Amino acid sequence: MTDPAAQTAPDIVPRPPAQVMRLARLGAFHQHRLSFLRILLRRAKAESWRYDRRVFDVDARGVGHAVLSMHTPKHVYSLVAFAHDLPPEMRSDRVIATAWDATFALFDGLPTEAEIADLRANIPLQEAGRVGPKVLSVSRANRSVRLWDYVVGCLAAGHQPDAERIEEVGYLMRTTAVYGSGKLGAADREATADRPEFQPPFQIEMLAVWLIRTFVMDLVEHMARATSPQAVPLDPALRRRFGIGNSTGLGMAPYLINHPVLLNNWIGVREEALARVRRVQTATPEAAATFRSLVARARLNVDLWRSAHPLQLEKLAELRADLDRLLAHLDTADLVHDDPWDRLWRWAEEALGLEGQEAVVSLLLEPYGDLVDGMDCCMAADEAAAFRIDATMSVGRLAAILRDTYGWALAIDWDAPPAQARAWYTSAEKLEPRLGERWAEPVGDYEQPLSPGRDAARLAATLADWSEAAKVAEVLLRHPEHRHIIRRAQIAARHPYAEIRDNTIGAEVLPIDLLRAKLAFFGAQHFDPRSDRWVRISLYPGAPFPDELASADPDDWTYPTLPA
Amino acid sequence: MSWSLNEVEALARKAARGAGLSWGLAEEAGRATRWLIAHGLPGAEVLSAALTRLDGLPHDAVAPLDGWQARDVLCPITTGAALADLGAAGGGDLRLGPVAGPLLLLPFIAPHVVTLSWDGVRLGMRDEAVILGGAPDGVRAAIAQSVRIETGPAEGRALPLQDRAELDAETVSRLDAFAQRTYAPATEASRIAGAGAGLADND
Repeated sequence: MTDPAAQTAPDIVPRPPAQVMRLARLGAFHQHRLSFLRILLRRAKAESWRYDRRVFDVDARGVGHAVLSMHTPKHVYSLVAFAHDLPPEMRSDRVIATAWDATFALFDGLPTEAEIADLRANIPLQEAGRVGPKVLSVSRANRSVRLWDYVVGCLAAGHQPDAERIEEVGYLMRTTAVYGSGKLGAADREATADRPEFQPPFQIEMLAVWLIRTFVMDLVEHMARATSPQAVPLDPALRRRFGIGNSTGLGMAPYLINHPVLLNNWIGVREEALARVRRVQTATPEAAATFRSLVARARLNVDLWRSAHPLQLEKLAELRADLDRLLAHLDTADLVHDDPWDRLWRWAEEALGLEGQEAVVSLLLEPYGDLVDGMDCCMAADEAAAFRIDATMSVGRLAAILRDTYGWALAIDWDAPPAQARAWYTSAEKLEPRLGERWAEPVGDYEQPLSPGRDAARLAATLADWSEAAKVAEVLLRHPEHRHIIRRAQIAARHPYAEIRDNTIGAEVLPIDLLRAKLAFFGAQHFDPRSDRWVRISLYPGAPFPDELASADPDDWTYPTLPA
Repeated sequence: MSWSLNEVEALARKAARGAGLSWGLAEEAGRATRWLIAHGLPGAEVLSAALTRLDGLPHDAVAPLDGWQARDVLCPITTGAALADLGAAGGGDLRLGPVAGPLLLLPFIAPHVVTLSWDGVRLGMRDEAVILGGAPDGVRAAIAQSVRIETGPAEGRALPLQDRAELDAETVSRLDAFAQRTYAPATEASRIAGAGAGLADND
């Protein structure tokens, strides 16, 4: 739509980390073109991946297995799905569950009978099982009690379920964990990262979930047929409205803090994408029309976004008001001439709250795939390459980095109890990350290194006793307790968006902000927090199924279509 | 049983932390163990032996604070990190000791063209591979009284690179016992509040 070389104003730079890397803003992110499931669908479309359901061997009680395969140019990947007959009292989303309605492996290649038998002995056990290097991902899902029986009943009775009722929930099953990268013995990410289809982040997990959604829709129709000979399949348009749910708790929250280079690359690419669109000096009328229509569709999307959590209701009200304000602004705004997107962006920063501003970021990228999609390859990271500490650095330089990146933390009184009210720890019971009350529970001794601000302040206090000319190596030899934060600080000095600039252990911290930032990069929609540390989402609602992709737009489905 | 390298790295990191190393040094232990296994050496086994010897000793008893020796015995992670930090391995011949689990020094000095030796075993690098010469069983040593780092390439056979780990049950059980110390015992309150449940999770 534009020639970036001929039409850009070079003085627009990405937003500074101090503005972007705040928890409240990260907790207002929305899915966008560079979200990982959208990268996957674009590649699947561009490379004409071929889908086939090789096995669907499920009985009338819903017990059995299926193999759904995706053929990419050089590799075949198969979802091996096991369907179970789970007693209702055993159904739980929590990681402490031991049984599920369905369990899955994403397998590298086409599994033999013997390999399927081996998977059947392990995959239904999830954490209690073991897998080998041909398994790329292990996951499980539970039915939505609200929707499953209803949809089976409608189809079995020969009619379509009510669209409103489907929108209330949005999915028939939700995954409660999708493990990748070496977990439970599966292949390390490093083992497949050189395959182009798995170069961007989380492509294995996104492929697994896309195929899980397909399996779940096939299963619900199968169960209806097993119930009644009059059963009908879902209407294709209604079928597409179903996403796959996901229930995510604290297990995921520390991830962004534990992967600073990766976080930098995700945020950095998104910020560069925004800057590129803002630099467009003259937009085409088509791009302007696309944007206008998308804003209206985004507004409709908010009405489909359900939550009962007070914090989320507040955010939804803010987003609704922001999008109404944006729609009113668009009535008169010129979106074609004189740096239209930069003008719009500057207006949004003045007129809208965080929810609206971050929604505008996502919307601005939509018409400009030619400017932004190519950056998907820059979102992966090699944390190992950033691991080595430069111990020849002077204490003076390290102290300057602390002031620059952690200035906000140096200003906090860490002796005040609320500043360290929380501690991240791992529970002996389930080996999962948890957040405890430091002053009320015996968890402080088990604290995980997930409080960079506090640790930077402690390091700064130590450095005050050293000569500025001293080498970091000398400090490290005497103070091994600072090794972790010194590594982080050096990474942050080279990677501007590596560090969250907020207290992650304070009394006010909301883990759901971390969850939402990560899930938005996955491509999640309809964030529905169930507490301050646990959120439900929907993945792929509205997306084409694998067998529809050849005739579908891989991008134009994330916002609902406007009524005719 | 076959392990992924990510799993071994995580286990080694937690075990080192459980044995008393700082988080930053525990991260080094995880990377070093993974590196050794990926290069065909028994990293997890040597780490478990070294941590058993070093268990509970304070930093100033195991760190090279006064030359390349320690008040008690050198911790190979602390010492390896110091060798890398100070750039000491590339600057001429060194003698260190005694050192627990001396094999764990290798990942820290691998970027330099040097030979690491003790008790008849010699290790170095050629391209991406570890070169092993002398008495190969020596790589498993739980302790070496004297370790040499000399400038120059090693002579011996190249070990093939690995992308999976085979761990014996005893090594896993020893490392896991150290790792368990990093986990907080569950209380009724943490079971409910820590993970954030409260609302029905099943509708």
